Amino acid sequence: MNDPFELLGVEPKFALDLADLENRHRELSRVLHPDRHVGAPASERRMALSRAIEVNQAFRVLRDPVRRAEALLARRGVRIEEGRDKPADPLLLMELLELGESISDARRARDRIAIERKFSELKARESASVSALGAALEAGEGGDAGAERAVKEIGMLRFTRRLLDEAALALDELE
Amino acid sequence: MAYSEKVIEHYENPKNVGTLDQNDPSVGTGLVGAPACGDVMRLQIKVSDSGVIEDARFKTFGCGSAIASSSLATEWIKGKTVDEAAGIKNSQIAEELSLPPVKIHCSVLAEDAIKSAIEDYRKKRATRGNA
Repeated sequence: MNDPFELLGVEPKFALDLADLENRHRELSRVLHPDRHVGAPASERRMALSRAIEVNQAFRVLRDPVRRAEALLARRGVRIEEGRDKPADPLLLMELLELGESISDARRARDRIAIERKFSELKARESASVSALGAALEAGEGGDAGAERAVKEIGMLRFTRRLLDEAALALDELE
Repeated sequence: MAYSEKVIEHYENPKNVGTLDQNDPSVGTGLVGAPACGDVMRLQIKVSDSGVIEDARFKTFGCGSAIASSSLATEWIKGKTVDEAAGIKNSQIAEELSLPPVKIHCSVLAEDAIKSAIEDYRKKRATRGNA
């Protein structure tokens, strides 16, 4: 995929102004909308359509901090691939599994308060990780140490989100 | 993306979910995770004196393919010797579940979990032998 920052014409940085990003997306979608190219030659219409699709994809990437961080790392030549990622720290895995099990236990016990507590705990973890990710990406621009820290934090975020999904599912069940 | 029937079957009726006593000297525990997708998997084996896996349990926080891969892994290793179980390859799991290329890493994780449980069991036995 092409660079999402270039596609949307925004500065490649982690601390994006999301309102500004949304405006850029809306503006580009308006310009590329098929209705505005009705009388144009077929090749031009096809181009506008494929650009519109790319712009939508880029918007979805940039809106999500994890994927935005991955796009920034990709610009530095750092790619995270499944199956090629570094193994996670065993202590962290143990902690995550315990957290996950406490959610499963609360789900079985239909203990809404306990699940909500875990949910907010995980939300707090998530935002701490997003801050740490931003710091890792923006400090020491171009440094490998920063990239390595960012990759680790992205992993942390993926783990946290997995458990957040688990907690959200458990809450849905109790609706 | 559509899951294969076998994945759905394991996802809806996972086999051997649960925990074995981690402190039991005949139990080996494997704990693995993939930062690239956020999956966490724990697989445990209980080994008889003659080296046969009598029981296996797992707990996985992950997608349907990760759950199915670990569920299938526990089914396969039960009744096998530790050495036989160590020979299970991720490609066999992926083939049995018809995993698409983007989900192959789930079967890799299951293979890693089996190996890590066996390693833990062997380590425990070695320490016990020296005691």
